Amino acid sequence: MTETTKTPVLQIDNYSLDYRTATGAFHALRNVSLDITPGEILGLVGESGSGKTSLAWSIMRYLPGNAREVGGAIRLGGEDLAKKSAAEIGAIRGKRISMVFQDPSTSLNPTLSVGRQLSEVLMRHRGLTRKQAWAEGEEMLARVGLKTPAQMMARMPHEASGGEKQRVVIATAFACNPECIIFDEPTTALDVITSRQILNLFVELQAETGVASLYISHDLALVSRTAKRVAVIRRGEVVEQGEVSAIFHDPQNDYTRQLIAAVPNPAIRLVESRPDATAAPLVKVENVSVHYGRKPFFAALTGRAHERVVGNRAVSLSVQPGEILGIVGESGSGKSTLAKAMTGLNPFEGKIWFDGKSISGVSDMDTGYRKDVQIIFQHPDASLNPRHRIGEILSRPLKLYGGEGSGSQAQKIGDLLEQVSLPRSHADRYPHQLSGGEKQRVAIARAFASKPKLVICDEITSALDVSVQASIVRLLLELQRVHDTAYLFITHDLNLVRQIAHRIAVMYHGELVEIARAEDISSPDRADYTRRLIEAVPIPAGTTAAAN
Amino acid sequence: MTEFLKRLLRTPQGAIGVAIVGLVLLVVIIGPWVAPHDPESLAPLQRYKGSSLTYLLGTDQYGRDIFSRLLIGARATVIMAMLATLAGTVVGALIGTTSAFLGGRADEAIMRTIDAVMSIPSLLFALLVVNLLGSSIVNALVAVAVAFAPGMARITRSVALSVRKQDYINAAIARGESARFVIVREMLPNVIAPIIVEMTIRVSFAVMLFATLSFLGLGAQPPAAEWGLMVSEARRYMHLSAGILIWPSIAIALVAIGFNLLGDGLRDALNPRA
Amino acid sequence: MSPNYILKRIALIFYTLLVVSLIVFAITQILPADAAVMMLGENATDQALDALRQRMGLNDPVWMQYAHWLIGIVQGNFGTSLRTGQPVGPVMFEALGRSLLLALLSITFMLILAIPLGIIAAIRRGRVADMLVSLISYVGVSLPEFVTATVAVLLFADWLKWLPPTGYVPLTENFGSAIAHLTLPVFVISIILIAHVSRMVRSELIDVLHADYIRSARLKGLSGSSVLMGHALRNALLPTITIVALDVGYLLGGVIVVEEIFAIPGIGRQLIVAIQARDLPAIQAGVLIMAATYSIVNFLADMLYAALDKRIQYD
Repeated sequence: MTETTKTPVLQIDNYSLDYRTATGAFHALRNVSLDITPGEILGLVGESGSGKTSLAWSIMRYLPGNAREVGGAIRLGGEDLAKKSAAEIGAIRGKRISMVFQDPSTSLNPTLSVGRQLSEVLMRHRGLTRKQAWAEGEEMLARVGLKTPAQMMARMPHEASGGEKQRVVIATAFACNPECIIFDEPTTALDVITSRQILNLFVELQAETGVASLYISHDLALVSRTAKRVAVIRRGEVVEQGEVSAIFHDPQNDYTRQLIAAVPNPAIRLVESRPDATAAPLVKVENVSVHYGRKPFFAALTGRAHERVVGNRAVSLSVQPGEILGIVGESGSGKSTLAKAMTGLNPFEGKIWFDGKSISGVSDMDTGYRKDVQIIFQHPDASLNPRHRIGEILSRPLKLYGGEGSGSQAQKIGDLLEQVSLPRSHADRYPHQLSGGEKQRVAIARAFASKPKLVICDEITSALDVSVQASIVRLLLELQRVHDTAYLFITHDLNLVRQIAHRIAVMYHGELVEIARAEDISSPDRADYTRRLIEAVPIPAGTTAAAN
Repeated sequence: MTEFLKRLLRTPQGAIGVAIVGLVLLVVIIGPWVAPHDPESLAPLQRYKGSSLTYLLGTDQYGRDIFSRLLIGARATVIMAMLATLAGTVVGALIGTTSAFLGGRADEAIMRTIDAVMSIPSLLFALLVVNLLGSSIVNALVAVAVAFAPGMARITRSVALSVRKQDYINAAIARGESARFVIVREMLPNVIAPIIVEMTIRVSFAVMLFATLSFLGLGAQPPAAEWGLMVSEARRYMHLSAGILIWPSIAIALVAIGFNLLGDGLRDALNPRA
Repeated sequence: MSPNYILKRIALIFYTLLVVSLIVFAITQILPADAAVMMLGENATDQALDALRQRMGLNDPVWMQYAHWLIGIVQGNFGTSLRTGQPVGPVMFEALGRSLLLALLSITFMLILAIPLGIIAAIRRGRVADMLVSLISYVGVSLPEFVTATVAVLLFADWLKWLPPTGYVPLTENFGSAIAHLTLPVFVISIILIAHVSRMVRSELIDVLHADYIRSARLKGLSGSSVLMGHALRNALLPTITIVALDVGYLLGGVIVVEEIFAIPGIGRQLIVAIQARDLPAIQAGVLIMAATYSIVNFLADMLYAALDKRIQYD
């Protein structure tokens, strides 16, 4: 059965949307045409600023005051939504068309119980009494796989985990058997394994109810695994749409091709070098533990036992010169804690050996160590001082460690910028005048100014778009090739790390689960947790699991 | 600098605030020279006059020109308020930064004590200090500064702590920068902006606090042309001429509004990302 | 809310009072006032003065005097007024009662006006109503109590003759007259608080209305008013509890001025009289009682907040 035989549930017809801004009209959407038929999942893929979320708001008729719909129509079951009154839209939202949001921790009201928030939609649209709605709500929660629905109904959102909350949101969206549901990055805020479970739930419920779904995501790999058809959106325009397999195997549009190429594919290794395994290790981390917090005064007074939060528990690993060691784990697994311990930002117990020197605390980290070990943070917005110009930011490592070679300070700063493919003139700018990718390049330039032996990359690509991420990764690998720098590459993106790391360390709850060669990470001999992690990560359609 | 001014003037608060505060500062500087009459010369025949060309805002119970007294009184009220706020801010900022820098138990002890001090209403605290030192305008300045210091310490600390958590500070520490560099070059420029905003808004409180102290007879003493004192003295004669009461009241309110608006305008203009 | 947290908050009150007692004691020690001279007059003989000093413990080391004073307070004895020779405690607590009545009425009146104003401003953000509320609040926070009080007396008592200018009548004596006498003071104290609190309510509500969960509620098909009533208001108004409690410090300062102007025999007026007469035991007691009031109000506010906002888990 193809979509042409069915009438579309949701029909977006040549739709255009502008935002009025101080500098004139901004074209958020231009001539967008999409159809979704019953039982179909349409994936909408785009990077930040592509207009994919604007489209969701247009469908839901939830537009900001400066939005102007300049053309086209959005039809639900053949009725033009723009022609509906506010009251009619209120009757449609949540009943005929509903939405699942990105972050379940912010999309639920923190001061109302889960049950109240689920049952109110049933009372609103199905005219149930509070009691009926509550009973029905319990059934819904059971249907989305929550083990104890009665207890869950009574809970406050902060008493539920992220995955549980997203299940509640999904139950709410499915509550009135809508014709169409919009999923706006429903797994982005969740951990790898949880998001896989949510995805499975979505596929299951979708098949069961036959609801028409618009699945919005930045993650091409993920969409390719769930949707049947994909539309690629860029700067407000749908550049290409079609069957997943067609798009992946024979993309017609340049941007689509570029996007597909940018998606990390574990089957394609980007690093050919092999570190010398026989050489003395550059860094050896021995039984490093980190604890957070101190004993509260009153607990000390009353002699009550108090559990300190553990950041790391006796972690041991080593990095060879020129090696890229990937560290993966979910949020809270302690991977960033290790990075902070190694750069003197967290006190730690245990020992670190660097280049043969033993380091057991911040006081042992001398200028030589600082010069050799550099760190790059996740958010370039936060890691560049907003009140310093780029030139000033880059001058610090030169001053501290003494830049090599001749030439003036300005000359050297220009060289640093050029090394990361930024124009020399950027030295005069402030961080907020740069794009996210450019800012991260500045942070990389700052780290490489001292010609370090080890660079710790703490989730440095996770705040960036796929194509920007790909270019940053290329830059890092290029720098690694030129300078033979070792990396500690911390990330939650398993596909990416499998492309670039020599070895991968898996962390869980502050502990090191295991370290394996990147090629062996998907082997069945791996630890149980590693295997679950690997299985949870979607691999782009049309590719097989790592060639092994 | 010009870019900053443009941003400041772009918001209505900023524009009106700059206009009012600019006017007030102008009066503070040139007030005594442009005052048409001697503010302290008594004219028994010219008492309780309404507005006229000779006496723009009328005369008071001793026949003194109210307009001239307001022009001259601006110095006493506004300069003192600004100095007191500055002094309170410096002391508070020192305590707050130290507390944030020390961290741990020391920080907790300092902040709990600050909280305790703040349980005494600032006006009462100022009254106690003035009473301890004796009623005079300089002592009132000290009193207001002392009353403001705990609040400023609290604000400085919270700003410093939030800046301290930023990754650019972590980056500087990981780079091996000296504590001095981290504090002076990385933290201070980011801490100072919110403090300036808070300080500006507090000048308006200081103006009001000063006037209140003078009103209660514990600040400026007659025959000074301090605005709060003028209101206080006018009370007994207000049924004879409302002007002696109204004009200094408006002057106080106008200055307070001006600094309030300027503070809100600065808050927007000093945000580097806006 | 664990018992541990409540215990900690109560301990904090005692710490606060300890610090405040040290501060007032220090200030009253430095004050150039000789209690013995004040009680016996300038003409007293040296022997008489010495005897009295001995009896009052004024010759003891300072820390001992402090300890005696503190122990006295714990036993409910705040000392004897140098001015009247009466025990300070009962006088101050009686005065506190009148001040609390004034404060409570002011807070109630303020909330009745400030909350709707803040809500209207937030809902009509950027429109005329918002600008008006904004204007009112800028003017409101910029008027010191003594200015509004004097102008209000001029307007409502002198010109319009609607309300009595000053004085205090107990509620039990003549209810109508009592309320008439309290109207202007309550109005004056409320103005700055209305300005401040309405601004806070506005900004809290604007923040809440921008929250993701409000958007989800709207997209569930709930109407604007049921989202406002069912989802937004509660979360926006909760922080008002803390703000009002912190404003009590400001309110107590305002009470001092207002009681002085309107001749209300509350604790503020008692304090001014004591400060002017350098009546050390009265000053000490008054300041300590004010600080205690503030601490207890803030403690109760924290408890209320914790009880209402289930998110907060103190340890």
